[in-house]
Amino acid sequence: MGVPLSNFRMNDSELISQILKGNMNAFTFLVNRYQKLVVHITGRLIQRQDELEDVCQDVFMKVYQNLGKYRNECKLSTWIATIAYNTSINYLRKFKKVVEVNPDDSVALRNLTDFVSDDYERTDLHRYIHEQIELLPVQYRTVLTLFHLEEFSYQEIEQITGMPEGTIKSYLFRAKALLKQKLKFVVDENSLKTVKEITHEQ
Amino acid sequence: MNNEELDRIIEKSFRTKPDFHLPADFAQKVTLSVVRREQLKNDLYEYLYLTGVLLSLLSVAVGLYYYIDKELVMRTLTFVSGNIIQVIFAVFLLNFILFADRVLLRLLFSRWKMNE
Repeated sequence: MGVPLSNFRMNDSELISQILKGNMNAFTFLVNRYQKLVVHITGRLIQRQDELEDVCQDVFMKVYQNLGKYRNECKLSTWIATIAYNTSINYLRKFKKVVEVNPDDSVALRNLTDFVSDDYERTDLHRYIHEQIELLPVQYRTVLTLFHLEEFSYQEIEQITGMPEGTIKSYLFRAKALLKQKLKFVVDENSLKTVKEITHEQ
Repeated sequence: MNNEELDRIIEKSFRTKPDFHLPADFAQKVTLSVVRREQLKNDLYEYLYLTGVLLSLLSVAVGLYYYIDKELVMRTLTFVSGNIIQVIFAVFLLNFILFADRVLLRLLFSRWKMNE
């Protein structure tokens, strides 16, 4: 199988060249390095824990099969994220789960549930927002995950999803606006104070 | 409610990792699947290569015999066309034995080894 890689750090191009030479330990190392990125993107898009492992496995299979075609035109993480995005979108299309974004956001807004202010002591506000993110349309969830969680730039998100930069910015803005719209009228000053205590914010 | 504070809370939530997870041995499982898939691909190529070689050798032999002993070839062809079902069955059986030896048994053996 080759040299064990767990004891030293390898950069991506060294890792790729090892894998292309047939070192399967290097591939295990690559999967370990990028599985979080893949699980975040795939999980947020398909939203099914029971299918997640299979889809993620499919992503890494494609990574292995196409590794020889990878050129250093973008970061390896961007390239893997592109495969994860396309695989997840294809999975959703296969099961007809892709919901088109309504331009006026009314459908998306209807999907979101109300945050009951009386419940704030029992409910973690972050948890509530987290749940609402999962209820947003797929395009919103994609850009939110790539931008905020994986910290990709607008250009990289454009490369991954094929969406124009303006659309990405618009989705980011609108996702935030939708959530704010839901929260603004239900959380008053006192509630916010308690929420801060609950969430241990300064 | 203070707009900036709300912004901060929302952005913090955006950065919170989603509640999806993979098994601890996911990387090993993927690697094993890749190795098995590659092995299967190689076995299939080997089987197709061997089948091709055998067919080529048979064609060359028939071609040579056609010049050496044309009558024997014609008799063989007549026999084949007269017993087409039996011949197809024999060829299929031989081909299946080769396929089992080169692909199927190796695949079953690797699965059995993995389940152990």
